Amino acid sequence: MAKSPIFILFSLIITFTVTNSFSIENPTDRRILVLLDDLALKSSHSIFFNSLESRGFDLDFKLSDDPKIALQRYGQYLYDALILFTPNSERFGGNLDVAGILEFVDSGKDLIVAADSSASDLIRNVAAECGVDFDEDPSAMVIDHGSYAVSGTEGDHTLIAADDFVQADVLLGNTKIEAPVLFKGIGHSVNPANSLVLKVLSASPSAYSANPKSKLSSPPSLSGSSISLVSVVQARNNARVVFSGSLDLFSNKFFKSPVQKAGSSNKYEKSGNQQFVTELSKWVFHERGHLKAVNVRHHRVGETEEPAIYRINDDLEYLVEIYEWSGSSWEPYVANDVQVQFYMMSPYVLKTMSSDKKGLYLASFKVPDVYGVFQFKVEYQRLGYTSLSLAKQIPVRPFRHNEYERFIPTAFPYYGASFSTMAGFLIFSFVYLYSK
Amino acid sequence: MVKPSSSAATKDDARALIHSLRSAYSATPTNLKIIDLYVVFAVSTALIQVAYMAIVGSFPFNSFLSGVLSCVGTAVLAVCLRIQVNKENKEFKDLPPERAFADFVLCNLVLHLVIMNFLG
Repeated sequence: MAKSPIFILFSLIITFTVTNSFSIENPTDRRILVLLDDLALKSSHSIFFNSLESRGFDLDFKLSDDPKIALQRYGQYLYDALILFTPNSERFGGNLDVAGILEFVDSGKDLIVAADSSASDLIRNVAAECGVDFDEDPSAMVIDHGSYAVSGTEGDHTLIAADDFVQADVLLGNTKIEAPVLFKGIGHSVNPANSLVLKVLSASPSAYSANPKSKLSSPPSLSGSSISLVSVVQARNNARVVFSGSLDLFSNKFFKSPVQKAGSSNKYEKSGNQQFVTELSKWVFHERGHLKAVNVRHHRVGETEEPAIYRINDDLEYLVEIYEWSGSSWEPYVANDVQVQFYMMSPYVLKTMSSDKKGLYLASFKVPDVYGVFQFKVEYQRLGYTSLSLAKQIPVRPFRHNEYERFIPTAFPYYGASFSTMAGFLIFSFVYLYSK
Repeated sequence: MVKPSSSAATKDDARALIHSLRSAYSATPTNLKIIDLYVVFAVSTALIQVAYMAIVGSFPFNSFLSGVLSCVGTAVLAVCLRIQVNKENKEFKDLPPERAFADFVLCNLVLHLVIMNFLG
């Protein structure tokens, strides 16, 4: 008996811990493991970490060779996201390896990876598995003699002022990033066969990737705007990953430094890094662009109850409510391109749903003149948003024998002909029998 | 024989042919004439329905079939009756015309029963 209060307390704690983490109702990540090469990064990148903590994230800093690193315990993940600021670690402490990180992403968790020139094979392998290929030359850096950042001392043009952002508000927020983003590090290319990976920050057409200390003897393997500086991946399970070729991109020094792009007279007091990184971290930790569909329902026009079966040529209405997570609450998602399919092997009906601007989407259409087992399908995949994939099965039956029209006006001549033949038969019989 | 007169001769031949056909047909007994009229009625009704179907389409196809088949069936049965009651036809000389007519009525009843079932 004395044990039960303790047990209740214990279960309350467990419930609290579970509900406080990533869940369907509250998709924002809460517990983040930050792996660092060097604890000095904690202070040199403190603005970034502080902004995460002020947004309610629970950061757990560990050195990359800490033997106590563990992502999961008893089959449960201890963290909802992972930040790898470990460009040089060849292996992690504990039992964390590439497979462990990929498994973490495969289970829907999020990841930020920052590499640097001389990135380790470990980081390269993680990136390659996600469709991001860092320049193979370990000493290569992105060099740009066209749009480098003007600094007091003329350098080797490896400090780049990049402003070729992806045009997607969901990734980078509604406010336009005015100032260029400072970047110093390694470039990568995205695998063209991988449709899940996306360039967020591209290099300018005059950039190339080479060792700045040596003379360029052969053409660089990566050049022009095909070099990606920062890329994102959204997996099919809606796990989000950010790859940056520069660790300094997140640093306090770059956040605060003024920036002037070569050849431009605009001088900015502050670089665009802080805004860029903050907005991107909001996206990657599911504070933005996370959709949910609720209250999927359908009924015949004029009714409210959901039938178990439809008849061919019925008029029906299909409704779904779509909300977007804003970081603290579910807001109505407003778009004009949500489509519903009435699907059996192929879509028989494909209809754009009308929205009431409060998150409710409606489509009304006629069931096709085909019976069988159909599905209502909504496949909604938009850049930066989590994908929605709804399917609901519904059978469609033909008319019952007594549901057809009893008399068809088109067939009246046929009815008339049949009856006139019968009348003709009677008249003929009389005439034939009584004519002599 | 010269060419221009040949068409006139053909016309005369045709006229003579029709005339002889008509005079031969007028010798037909009245009961056979009644049957012929009945057949003409049935066939023309069938043709009207086919023409109607060609215009409005074949949608109530069962109605169309039963309408046309009732006419065609009636015509076929009437022709059968005509063969059997024709005095000049020696094949059925043992069959009394009353028996032939009774067969005709029975077959018609069966036909129209089927037609009524198939019509709607």
